[in-house]
Amino acid sequence: MRPFTRLVWKEARELLRPRYILPILMLPVLFIAMGQGLGGIEEQLGNEPQVGVLAYDDDEYADVVRETLETRADVVYSGTDGTPEQALNQTTDAGGSAVVVIPDNFTERIRDDQRGRVRLYTQVESVSIVGIASSTQVESLVSEAGRNLTVAITGATETELDPIERSHTTYVKGERMDASPGAVSAAFTSQFVFVPVIIMFAIVFSGQMVMNSMASEKENKTLETLLSMPVKRRQIVAAKLLGGSFIGFIATALYTGGLAFAQLGVGASFGGSAVTLGGMDYALIAVSLFFSLVGTLALALALGVFADSQQGAQMLLLPLSGLAIVPMFATMFTDIDTLGIGAKVALLAIPFSHPIIAPKRLLFDDVGIVLLGIGYEVLFAVGAVWLVIRLFDSDRPITGDAGWLDKLVGFVQR
Amino acid sequence: MAAPAVEVANLQKRYGDVQALDGVSFEVRRDEIFGLVGPNGAGKTTTLRTLATLLDRDGGTVTVAGNDVDAAPAAVRKAIRYLPEEAGSYDAMSGRQFLAFVADFYDGDSDAMVERGVEVADLGERIDDKTKEYSKGMGRKLLLGSALMTDPELAILDEPTSGLDVQNARTVREVIKAFPNADRSVLLSSHNMLEVEFLCDRVGLLNDGEIVVEGTPAELKAEFDAQNLEDVFVEVVQ
Repeated sequence: MRPFTRLVWKEARELLRPRYILPILMLPVLFIAMGQGLGGIEEQLGNEPQVGVLAYDDDEYADVVRETLETRADVVYSGTDGTPEQALNQTTDAGGSAVVVIPDNFTERIRDDQRGRVRLYTQVESVSIVGIASSTQVESLVSEAGRNLTVAITGATETELDPIERSHTTYVKGERMDASPGAVSAAFTSQFVFVPVIIMFAIVFSGQMVMNSMASEKENKTLETLLSMPVKRRQIVAAKLLGGSFIGFIATALYTGGLAFAQLGVGASFGGSAVTLGGMDYALIAVSLFFSLVGTLALALALGVFADSQQGAQMLLLPLSGLAIVPMFATMFTDIDTLGIGAKVALLAIPFSHPIIAPKRLLFDDVGIVLLGIGYEVLFAVGAVWLVIRLFDSDRPITGDAGWLDKLVGFVQR
Repeated sequence: MAAPAVEVANLQKRYGDVQALDGVSFEVRRDEIFGLVGPNGAGKTTTLRTLATLLDRDGGTVTVAGNDVDAAPAAVRKAIRYLPEEAGSYDAMSGRQFLAFVADFYDGDSDAMVERGVEVADLGERIDDKTKEYSKGMGRKLLLGSALMTDPELAILDEPTSGLDVQNARTVREVIKAFPNADRSVLLSSHNMLEVEFLCDRVGLLNDGEIVVEGTPAELKAEFDAQNLEDVFVEVVQ
């Protein structure tokens, strides 16, 4: 095996050990569990709700309510006497969780031009999203019954009930989209929750892996042996970057899969064909991400030179993670164009911002800005690689001497 | 005539306010084992690391096998093997895989090198176990095997028998003793003066960043009228 191949192989093997790989595997499992939880809620909302009806009134308008419920829901209990609590118990025993109680003066009040009253009794076993999902369905049923009552009382047609048909054309930064602002916003939100999170994971986990590879050399006390062998220091650097990024990409793929399974943003409806990216757009995002990763990994390796253990490496990774998280949140909750000049410059100075904001820029055909961002990332990557090669050519990997940075590193590690 | 294995002249190194090496000079000849001894903090490890191209120097000249460590570090690295006092191997590899990993970086038949390494390490069937399952002594023997299997012109061994039991330490000493020839030398550092006296052809005693006495064990014992090298050591550093 060629020495360089052997070095890359060694890096990959060392980083695939359980102590490094298990924490990475844990989160996708969590995402899958979340996905199953959300799937359960969706499944519940998709099913016909099971309800009970206790109607003390047997007149015409009470019948309209009851018929609506029987048409749109699975009525597991239907009674005309007894207490609401008894009705709820029997409904719960039959698999439902809510009872609609229609008092005996329901029809009479409506005839007297007063609002008819119903009371909902709900059994909530959990105050979680799952727990309250069914009550939302019952609320919707009662609204439907109200609509049917209006038709029954007034004889109004569907057109009379909702006489205005709306259609939307929304312009976002000059781009026409045939969808409501709400739908466009939902499409953007879904896309820009998912994409920045994935990019942030790619940056953080690849950086972590490269830093671990350095910390591992120090913990295993193999660094001196490695550096005293006849292999070019830049080959060692390249092997660590390649090996670390390989594992980082595997981790990112696992996270992406986990997130997709959790359905966080995936499958959301888009605001129209204008809110989609083309093949060239994805290629530009990939190029932007590539150079951002090269710079990140080199910077992580440079920081790893000063880490004396895996724990120290984790601490040194914090500022890097912070720099990746800032643009992620900035993109998710605001638009860079709406920021002040100071905040905008600060955000664009972070190299990881560029792949994260690239999808949004490309949606509006701001290709020039994305290309400028890539140019900046290339400069950053070249600088970071130069720095790490300089560090490896010096005796700093052995002495750990960070010069004036020593105090800062010491502070961060504490 | 071939250049000496090592020539160090007026070597200086400073760590912040501490002058670790203050004009160290010595020579390691071909076909000899040179012992570098001294109290803790005297500068032994700094000297060995400088020879192994791991540390920059602040002054002086250092050549290994005729190559300046600054001007031709790649040639120096080809000529040496360095066994640090605290060294390890890669947990995910077996002993044999570790030897193969190291052998790939050196010219020559890597299979033959690995076989030599297996022989020196003398771990039997355990050579194919993961190195994380090795005891400290087994790990040390593996590292010694990896250090000597490449046939280096200079083997730099820092506390080679550290952590070994009596029997293993004796085996390792025999291997080191037999290593030098017309093309090969050993630079050894140890706190075990009996070991140094048994192994070394010449000894340099380092104290406060400089070589204070140098000679064969017999010469040093005669000079200080001492029964053994340990007494010489105590006499010099007091």
